[in-house]
Order: sequence, then structure tokens, then C-alpha cells
Amino acid sequence: MPVHKVWAVIRREFVERVRTRWFWISAILGPVLFAGIIVFQIAQSVGGAVRNIAVVDSTSSDYGTRVVESLGASRLIRATRVSAGPGVIDSLTRLVEAKQLNGFLIISNQLTETGKAEYRASNLSLQTIEELQRALNRLLLKVRLEERGVNPAVVEYAQSLRVTLDQKKIARGGTRAESAGESFAVAWVMSILLFMAILLYGVNVMSSVLEEKRDRIIEVLVSSLRPFQLMLGKVIGAGAVSFFQFLIWGVSARALISLRVPIARALGADTASVSSMPLPHIPFATLAVFMAFFLGGFLLYSAMFAAVGAMSSNEQEARQAQQPVTYVLMISYLSVIGLTNDPSSTFAKTLSLVPFTSPIATPVRWTAGGMGIGELVLSLAMLAIAIVGVTWVAARIYRVGILMTGKRPSMKELVRWVRTA
Amino acid sequence: MSDPVVVDRVTKRFAGHTAVDALSLSVPSGQIFGLLGPNGAGKTTTIRMIMDIYEPDEGSVRLFNDVAGGRTHSARIGYLPEERGLYPKMRVLDVLTFLAETKGVARRTGRAKALEWLERLGLGDWRLRKVSDLSKGMQQKVQFISAVLHDPELVVLDEPFSALDPVNRQVLLDTVIDFGRRGKTVLFSTHIMEHAEKLCDRLCIIARGKKLIDGTLADVKRTHGGKHVVIEFDGNQGAARQIFADRRLVARMQDFGQQAELELAEGADTQEILRALVTSGARLSRFELASPSLHKIFVDLVGPDAATAAANPASGRERERAGA
Repeated sequence: MPVHKVWAVIRREFVERVRTRWFWISAILGPVLFAGIIVFQIAQSVGGAVRNIAVVDSTSSDYGTRVVESLGASRLIRATRVSAGPGVIDSLTRLVEAKQLNGFLIISNQLTETGKAEYRASNLSLQTIEELQRALNRLLLKVRLEERGVNPAVVEYAQSLRVTLDQKKIARGGTRAESAGESFAVAWVMSILLFMAILLYGVNVMSSVLEEKRDRIIEVLVSSLRPFQLMLGKVIGAGAVSFFQFLIWGVSARALISLRVPIARALGADTASVSSMPLPHIPFATLAVFMAFFLGGFLLYSAMFAAVGAMSSNEQEARQAQQPVTYVLMISYLSVIGLTNDPSSTFAKTLSLVPFTSPIATPVRWTAGGMGIGELVLSLAMLAIAIVGVTWVAARIYRVGILMTGKRPSMKELVRWVRTA
Repeated sequence: MSDPVVVDRVTKRFAGHTAVDALSLSVPSGQIFGLLGPNGAGKTTTIRMIMDIYEPDEGSVRLFNDVAGGRTHSARIGYLPEERGLYPKMRVLDVLTFLAETKGVARRTGRAKALEWLERLGLGDWRLRKVSDLSKGMQQKVQFISAVLHDPELVVLDEPFSALDPVNRQVLLDTVIDFGRRGKTVLFSTHIMEHAEKLCDRLCIIARGKKLIDGTLADVKRTHGGKHVVIEFDGNQGAARQIFADRRLVARMQDFGQQAELELAEGADTQEILRALVTSGARLSRFELASPSLHKIFVDLVGPDAATAAANPASGRERERAGA
């Protein structure tokens, strides 16, 4: 019978929430955003961003021409030589401002002596700068070697080979291809997802508690349900909604990835480069850890959010009262960068063991490597203990709080609620 | 079998004041019981303790001869709280089904019963509308349905008739009377004596958290109403005025010329007055022991208490909410 009642609460919470406009807006917005990213990536690879730049040449040799030549080898840059003279810089600046030119490179005799050149542009994109530096470096090396009488053919031969560094990760007894960037990206995406999901759905639990209090339904409910049953039903119901949301996102992301070649073809992009687009490899263990800690974190935080909702009597009060809870969550989110840089540091270890930060820190540490099974189990156990403890306290605050209106309780009163409830 | 509701010397204190003070009452099975009192008398607090929403500071509540509390027996109890509330964004039928489920009714049965009741109270066309689309009165009827949908043995109604227009009030009154006929136990609170007089088998009047009187309606009227006499003269009044002026016999009187209503002094005997009047030579066409209305009894009993409480009705309630 009690299970039947909790089930009724879960069902109501789930059905009413899924029926709202907001649920479907965010369910659709996720995949749209994801598709946007894919389309953007494809569009970028379609040659798109070719920079038109001018090379202002005030050298006394043929360097200007050679610079233009070597820049011409790059797919990204289309360069034109302009002789230096009075007013040239000004008129080029005007062209840049009028968006007819992306930028201009100024070179003088200094280039071969001190290696100095200047680039002015409306948008100093990293890609262009790197391309310019690479081209100028190669040219400079060539010029200097030739000055000392090295055969240009030898120079050409020396420069024709480039190093490609394959990156592989050693983690938990296996070695697999994964770049530092990928590892970091997975950890980063994970932490964002965990942070957002725990926060959003925790706050959902809070507003649902608050709504029942404000609309005075609570009195009827507690006359037939134990407050704990009610809280449990709410937390599970809101949790199920977030799982459903994740499911929609996951399935549509998967579909978009498998459809990326046809999408690329439709956009007229090179399908080969799109299908070889690097996709991070997420092993099952990582997924399992992610889900376990999402679940744990959600339970822990929604119990706290439920208590916050119960002790407040309006949205404004709740917003204030939820701040400490949100801050704690934010700390673990913000510490992700430090974590991935050195997953074995004491700082990282502490964060992944403390139950309030572990829901985000542990999956991130696990992904970044440097976490053993032993530590993982310990972290999970600590989280489980904390969930029981926090839920116990929260349920007591909830029990007293849901029937209170008026001023928000002080810390002292809260302690009394917990002791006497 | 003991009474379904037995309240034994319960006390509830809120920050700085005692809302209910050593109150005892007992609601017999199959009767309609009225808990009467002015605003802030402690009616809602008492009902909340009965419903296991507040824990009494002292004393105990037994429902169906069990101290386990209302939640344990929620399938047998229907409750209409004073603070009405429904999910405003849910559809009427869904809310009722859900609330029935929380009482342990199967979903399908709950739905069918909800439809039946909505039809009965004239809300059939509104079943798929959102609660927020309904008027206050309609919402109150929906809430009333939620209290009785699962066919409970005991119905607890806190101020069930407030904020209703006369037509809807009559509909609910009839429904409650029907419960009584079908052998259900009804406990309701009100500060409107007219409703209590129509419904109650038994009643209990409280003020400032204390019980002033309880018993059957007839008992209460007898103990508090037997002291009123209405007299009508048939022409000759004899020396009646002298008798009326005797403070040992008559405490107060209202003189209407050929008619008078006497309130007897304490310990005065009606037969003695009748004898005195006849001896004085007055000719009487009427000598009747009148029972005053419940309203009169209420005002007499509660008196200045009611005045102070009514003059400041909000403060008591505010305190109730603010306290822990």
C-alpha cells in the first residue's frame, strides 16, 4: 500500500512535469544546439574562412615576393604584395575597416635581422596567426641557410618532413588512442552535464515542494502520506524526468552523429573529412561511473533542495536559501580544471572523497585517469552514507517546514526542527 | 466498540500562547458532530491534531481505537482542511484521481468515483478543465469531493460551508446530512451556528482552546435553554409586573405588552412562577418553556471571549502559523 502511494506521487510528478511546455522546449533545444555545433564544424571545414591579406613590403630585397609566395602555399591565406609608401598603411586600414580586407602584414629589412614583423587585422584569429608564423618561420630558415651557402634543394628536403605525434593514453591497464584534448573534453562535458542536471532538477524538486506549500495542497497530502513518502516520490519523479530528458538528448545526439555524413553531403562539404571527425571514445565503465554519480548527486542534492523548499514560503526566500547548496555544487564544478591537470593531487583526491563534491569530481577524475577502483568504491560508499544522513536531516526539516508559513526559520530553529521532528 | 474519534486532554502550545488547552472530546460512531467556536478558538488546531498533522504537546488522540494516527487510517478518513488548495495547473479529474490514489484507492476506481461525484455536484462538464479555470466555489466543491471520494467511514470537515453561495451551501449541507443517514461519522467545525443547528447530533463549543460545553444538541438546549419562558396574557395581567420584578425569579425580561419573554434567575423554578402568576390574578393564554437558538446559547457562553477573538481574528491564526 505505501509503495502504491509513493508510486502515485512519482507518476503525478513525472506526468505533470513532462506535460509542461518547458520540458519540450529544453528537450528540443538540446539536439538543436548539438546539430548547430555539427553544422558549424562542417561549414568551417568547407574551405570557408580564407583570409585576404596584404603584405606591405618595405624590404630592399625580394623578400616581399617570397613571403607572398610562401603564404600562397597555405590554403587559408590569400596574400597580395603592396609596396610600402606614404599613406599606404592608412588606406589599408580603411580597407580593413570596410571589411574588404582581413588584415595586412608589414615586413621590413628587420625581418631577416631580428625576425620581427607586424600583423594588423580586425580579427586576430589564432588560426591565421599560427599560419602566418609558420610560413614566415619556414621562409626565414630558408633565407638564413641560403645566406650561408646551403643548397636550396637541401633546405627544401629538410623542410619537407613534419612530425605527427600520436597521442595514446595509459589508463587502468589499457592503452588507447586518445589525445589530451579529448580526455579533457569528455571530462569537461561530463562536469557541465552533471552540474546542470543536478542543479536544474534539484531546483525542480524545490519548486515543486514550494508549489505544494504555496497552493496549500500540502495539508491534504500529509493527512494521507508520510512526509518521507512524499519527499521520496517527488525526488524520484523529478529524477525520472531528468533521465527522460537525458534519454531524448542522448538518442538524438546519437542519431545526429550517425547522420553527419549525409548532412555534410547536403552542405556540400568533404564527406571524408567529416566521417573522420574525431569522436571521443567513452568506455562503458566511464558511462556507468557517470550514471552512478549522477544518481547519487541528484539524490543528495534534491534532498537538500527539498528541505530548502520546505523551509521557505515563497520563491524569493527559496532563492536565497538555496544559495549555500548551489555554492557547494559550484565549487566542485569549478575545480574541474584543477582536477584534470593533476588528477592524483591531494586536492583532487579530497574533492572526490567529500560527498558534496564527489558527484562531479569523481566521474571527472575517473575520466582524466589516476583513480583506482579502491578509491572509486570508497567515494561511492561515502556518497551513499551522506545520502542517507542528509535525507534523514532533510526529511525532518521537510516534515516540520511544509506546514509553516511566515518568516524563514533561523539556524537555531532548524536545528530544533531536526531534533524534535 | 469505542468511538471513532477520542481526544483525551490534548494541549497544543505555539510560541507564546496556548491554542488548545487540555481539551477532551469524543465523537460517537454514526453521528454528526459539530466543533463550534469563535475565530481563533482552536478549532483548526484541534482538527489538525486529530488528523495527525500537529503532534499534541500533551494528551493523546485515538482514531478507531488506535493511537497510530490519522495517516495510518487515511483510507477510512476523509479530510477537508480549512486551508483549501489544489494543484492549479492540473485537470480536475486528474487531481481527484491522484488524491484518491494517495488514500489507497486504485487508479481506475478513483477515476470512476471522481466522475460520479463531479456529476452529482454539477461539475461534470468541468472534469477536463484546469483547476485554475474554476471559480472559488467550484474549487471548494472539488476539494470536498476529494475528501469523500474514497467513501470514508469518518469525514472531518474544517469550516466546510464558508465562502459558498446559498445554493452550493445547501448542496453540501444535504450531502453531509446524507452521510449521517448512511451511518457515517462526521466531525465538522464552524463558527456559523445556523449550520450547526441544522446538522449536529452532538456538539462541542470551545473558546480560547478550552471546552465550554459538549453533549447532544437536545442536551445543550435543555441545560442552557430550559430557563426561558414565553408568556402571553389574555387581557388581565394582574400583578404580573411585581413578579417579573422579583430578581430571585426573573433575571431579565423583554416586555412586549401582551407578551413577555423571561430569562429565569438561577435556581428559579418555572412552576413557582406559573403558580405566582395564577395567584396574582393574571389570565394566561400561553406559558411556554422556550429553547433559545444555538446562536443565543453560543453568544451567552462565549460572550466577551467571542468579542475579543473576533475583533482580532487574524492574530490568533498568525501565531498558529509562525510557531513551530
